[in-house]
Amino acid sequence: MGIPKRKNNINVYGNKPVLYGSDVMDRRQELLDSITKADSFLPDSILHDDLDMGMLDFVKENFQIVTDGQKIPVVDKIMTIQRWGEFANNWSFSDDDGNPKLPLIAVIRKPDAQIGKNPSTIYNIPDRRTFYYASVPTWNGNQMGADVYKIPQPVAVDLTFDVTIVCTKFRDLNKFSKLVMQKFASKQAYTNIKGHYIPIILESIADNSPIENIDSRRFYLQTYTFVMLGLLIDNEEFEVKPAISRALLMTEFIVDNPVQRTTKSGSVDITTINIKANGTQTIFSVGEPMSIIFNVYINGELLTKDVNYLHISGTSKITTLGAPQANDIITIQYFKGKKSQKADNVTTFTNSYGKIVTLFTDSITITNNSPFMNLTHDIDTFVSLDINGLAQDETTNFIITNSKQVKLLGTPSISSIVNIKYLF
Amino acid sequence: MENKLPITRLGKFFSQDDFDINIQMGEEYLHGDLNMKLVLYRVDKNKTGTDSVYAEAGKDDIKYLPPIEFNGLVKIDEPKNATYKNGILRYQEPGNMVISVYIKHLNELNIDVRYGDYIGYQDSEDKVRFYTVVNDGKITSDNKHKMFGFKPHYRTITCTIVQEGEFRGV
Repeated sequence: MGIPKRKNNINVYGNKPVLYGSDVMDRRQELLDSITKADSFLPDSILHDDLDMGMLDFVKENFQIVTDGQKIPVVDKIMTIQRWGEFANNWSFSDDDGNPKLPLIAVIRKPDAQIGKNPSTIYNIPDRRTFYYASVPTWNGNQMGADVYKIPQPVAVDLTFDVTIVCTKFRDLNKFSKLVMQKFASKQAYTNIKGHYIPIILESIADNSPIENIDSRRFYLQTYTFVMLGLLIDNEEFEVKPAISRALLMTEFIVDNPVQRTTKSGSVDITTINIKANGTQTIFSVGEPMSIIFNVYINGELLTKDVNYLHISGTSKITTLGAPQANDIITIQYFKGKKSQKADNVTTFTNSYGKIVTLFTDSITITNNSPFMNLTHDIDTFVSLDINGLAQDETTNFIITNSKQVKLLGTPSISSIVNIKYLF
Repeated sequence: MENKLPITRLGKFFSQDDFDINIQMGEEYLHGDLNMKLVLYRVDKNKTGTDSVYAEAGKDDIKYLPPIEFNGLVKIDEPKNATYKNGILRYQEPGNMVISVYIKHLNELNIDVRYGDYIGYQDSEDKVRFYTVVNDGKITSDNKHKMFGFKPHYRTITCTIVQEGEFRGV
């Protein structure tokens, strides 16, 4: 099996046979630079006249034929209907009568530009929406900023060119045909227009030689029809918008306080952390996200959320409204949690065994001297107990006697309110 | 030796002498009064280098025998406006040149005008146009070319213009 022929005129690889590793990105950058090598960071416009010029250059560059020791001239411009322009374009190889001397090659574009059929652009993005192309730094003498360059999808357009050779020798036809055939041995050849590789397809070859005219001058006239699968890039459609003109960097300094952390394992892990305040700080971080804060105390005194402190669920910090005094102990009781373990944002959890548990607080007003506090539900995980907002310590101030009862180890005064927080 | 048979038709009204005197008077008018001169460049087939496959000659490769001046009645058609490609790449094609020449004159010069030979005709003092023979008019059996139906007396040679790249008389 033969080796596939590399497409002609594509110098994608630069001067290297193949690119590896970082060379690939370097080469891409190089190609991009070649597209934007003009005076801006944006690609140059490609409009119909650029495509025409690209075709003309392609013909001049690739279809050079020498006959009788002289190069067959290519008419210098795309031929149009303006008569004087036609005369001006071929005057350099005209005879005494002003007729173009044979042989010659002319490029004639069909006036109609058709909707592009380039397969790579067959799917269009409607409404000429613009897309990010580059961020370009700016400097106004005082401050650094950036502009965001956006361009719309290029518009595909097919242009048809007739490249006509008029000559009097069969050998000249052969030479021209050879060049064309070799160039278009692949499906398409490419011309480089402002850094963009634009494909050209050979569509047909026609012979219009008036050789049947026995009684008049005869010559060979062959027309090679090429279709350029072009793109229109119009700089009128480019968008340049200022991006960031000033960056404000905010840095938050979290004071490294002495911290004591304990985690009570259960069906729901409850972490208690004690942080010593330095007298000025209002932000206290536990160093990990907190899904739910059960309680916050200062020196054992219960604080109320949104009254005494603020917390956004899922963040690692609380902000006290007012700085606690130096050496005050801030106690935060929280559930670190996982998203999968939290059924809602407030009171319902999925515990480690997959069971839905609910946060509940029994508030019991002391009416007698009985130390036993009977609960509404069975305790799944115990959270906290406070009397009149003062935190109580398990084993020191109370014990859990069974799943529905707590025993106080002291006697609170009548009318005191005991809050027992637990999950059931 | 070729067989020759005298023409005896129309003998009661016309003879070889009549034929000759008509030619003589015609030549007197054509060569003396009109004096339209042309130059025949007969292609030297032996010396002209041609392509081995297509028998084409390159620029200035056409070699010709010594040019010979001859007289004829010249009629040049009007030039036509034309284009090589669908109305673009315009050129003006000089009209064909039609030459009427006495056969006797060609015989006296011992020349023959052949298909593909070149003929130069002076357009003006500083402009000569070259034509190539596209119809050498050798067949003269028609009544037009026979004097009163007696026998042929002239040839009509049709030529078309050649471009400088093909032939320019050098």
